[in-house]
Amino acid sequence: MRATSTAGPHLSTRAQWWVLTTRFIAPTLQNGELALTIASSVVFTAGFYIPLHQIMRTATLGVASSYAQYLMPLIGLEAITFAAISTAFRAATDSVQGLNRRFRSMPIAPLTPVTARITAAVYRCLVSLTVAVICGYVIGFRFHRSAVYIVAFCVLVIVIGALLSFGADLIGTATRNPEAMTPLLILPPLIFGLLSVGVQPVEQFPHWIQPIVRNQPISQFVDTMRALAGDSTPFGGPVTWSVVAPTLAWLCGLAAILAPASAMVLSRRA
Amino acid sequence: MRVGRDPGTGIGNGFVKAGVMTLVYEEATDFGVERRCHENSVRALVPQTLVQTQRILLRWARDLTTIIEVLVLPVFFLLTLNIVLGQMISQVTGHSALYGTVPMNTLAAAINGSTIGAIGLIGERDDGLLRRLWVLPVHRASGVLSRIAAETVRIMITTVVVLAVGMMIGFRFQQGILASLAWLTVPVIFGLACATLITMIALYTAKNFLLEAVTLVHLLVILFSSGFLPVNQFPTWIQPVVAHQPMTYAVDAMRGLSLGGPVRWPLIATLLWAAGVTAVCIVPTLLGYRRAGTH
Repeated sequence: MRATSTAGPHLSTRAQWWVLTTRFIAPTLQNGELALTIASSVVFTAGFYIPLHQIMRTATLGVASSYAQYLMPLIGLEAITFAAISTAFRAATDSVQGLNRRFRSMPIAPLTPVTARITAAVYRCLVSLTVAVICGYVIGFRFHRSAVYIVAFCVLVIVIGALLSFGADLIGTATRNPEAMTPLLILPPLIFGLLSVGVQPVEQFPHWIQPIVRNQPISQFVDTMRALAGDSTPFGGPVTWSVVAPTLAWLCGLAAILAPASAMVLSRRA
Repeated sequence: MRVGRDPGTGIGNGFVKAGVMTLVYEEATDFGVERRCHENSVRALVPQTLVQTQRILLRWARDLTTIIEVLVLPVFFLLTLNIVLGQMISQVTGHSALYGTVPMNTLAAAINGSTIGAIGLIGERDDGLLRRLWVLPVHRASGVLSRIAAETVRIMITTVVVLAVGMMIGFRFQQGILASLAWLTVPVIFGLACATLITMIALYTAKNFLLEAVTLVHLLVILFSSGFLPVNQFPTWIQPVVAHQPMTYAVDAMRGLSLGGPVRWPLIATLLWAAGVTAVCIVPTLLGYRRAGTH
C-alpha cells in the first residue's frame, strides 16, 4: 500500500528521461550549438574535399567513380564524432557543478541522466549526418542502392555516434574537466581519420603502417559505409558478410568495454 | 600595504600555495622603517609578474590534459601528416614535406594552446580570482604581462618539442644559426597574436561556443594552408585564399628560414597579420580583462 501523503507528481523513468533530454536539446537553438553542429559538417566537407580532391583523384581512380563518393563516409564519421564529443563537455560540466551528485540523491535511475545526454547526442548526430549527406550530394556523392541500404547506412552512423558519445560521456564524467574535452577529443579523431582508408587507399600508405591502417576501426566503418552507399556499376562491391562483420565486431567490442566502464564511473561517489 | 602574510613560509616576493594566494612585496633591507614600493611602481612589477607567470605555468604543468594537448598531440599530428601526405608532397615539390608540416604543427599547437590559456582565464574570472587580485596591492599590469610571459614560454616549449621530433625524422636547418633563431621566434609572434584574439573571444562569449568554434576555425586554417599541401595543389579558385591567409605566410617564412627560399615578403606579411590582429583585438581584450577583474 502506498502512502498517498508523499505522492506529489510522480514521474515515470520515461518522463524523467524526456525532461532531462529536453534540458539539453531546448537551449541548442539559442546558444548557437545547432549552428555549430551544422557548421561542423560543412567544415569537414570543405576541409577534406577541397584541398584533397585534386591530389587524391589519381590515387582513387581505380576504386571509386569520384573522390566525393570515396571521401563522403569519412566526412560523415568525422562530423558525427564532433557532435558526439560535445557530450563529454556536458557530462563534465554536470559532474563539476555537482548536478550528478544532486541527481543521485533524487529518485532517478542512475542511468537516466546518461541516457538523456546520449539522446541529446543522437539528436546532434542526426542533424550533422543530415547536413553531411546534403553536403555530400553537393560535392557529388550519391546513394546507389535501395532505401533499405540508405536506412542501414544512417543507422550504422547513428549507432557509432551513440557509442562514441557514451564513451565521451564517461570520459567527461570521470575527468571532471569540461575545458579540456573538446580540443583533446578533436585531434585524435582527425589522426585516426587521416590514418584510415577514408582519405586514400591502403596501398598508398608506407608498408609498415598498412596493417594498422587496414584494420583500425575507422577503416572498417568506412568500408562498410562505402558498401552500403554503393557506387556506379564498375565500382562498389556487394554488401557481404566479410565487409560487415569487422564493423559489427568493433561495435560489439566497444560496447563490451563501455558497459563495465560505465558501471565503474557511474557508481563512483562524485 | 601587506596582505595575508603566511607565518610559516618566510619572506618572499609572493607565493602560491595550495590554491590560497598570498602576495607580499616588501623591501628586504628594511630596518625598522616601513618603506615599501608603491603598488604600481616598476620595482614591484618584475617580481610580481614572475610570480604570476610561475603560477600559470605550474597550473598547466600539473594538468595532464594540458600536457597531452600541448606536447603529445602536435607530435602525433606531425607524424600522421608525414605518413599520409609526406611522400606525395615530396614528389610534387621536390623537397621534404617536413619543411611545411613541422612549422604548421608548431603554429597549430600555438593556437591550440592559447585556447587553454583563455579557458583558464575564464575559469579564474568565474572563481573570483581576478577580482581578488584587483583588490590586492598588485601591480595592475602584472596580470596581463604574466599571461603574455606564460604564453611565450608555453609556445617556446611546444615549438622545441615539435622541432625535436621533426629533426628526428629528417628536418634540418640549412640557413645558419641566425635564420634558425628567427625560425623559433615566428611561432611566438604568431601565437601571441592568436592568443590575443582567442582571449578576446573568450572574454565575450560562452565557453562551449568558444571551444567548438575555435576548433572548427583552427581546422580550416590548418587544412587550407601551405603547410598541409603546396598552394598549387589546391583548386585554382581557392588558391588566393590559401596563399594570403596568415598561417600560409608564417609557414612560408619558416620554410624559407630553414630550407631556403624567399623569406622577406612572407615574414613581413606574417608580421603584418600579427600586428593587424593584435591591433584590432588588444583594446577589447584589455577592457574585457579589466571588466573581468572589476565586475
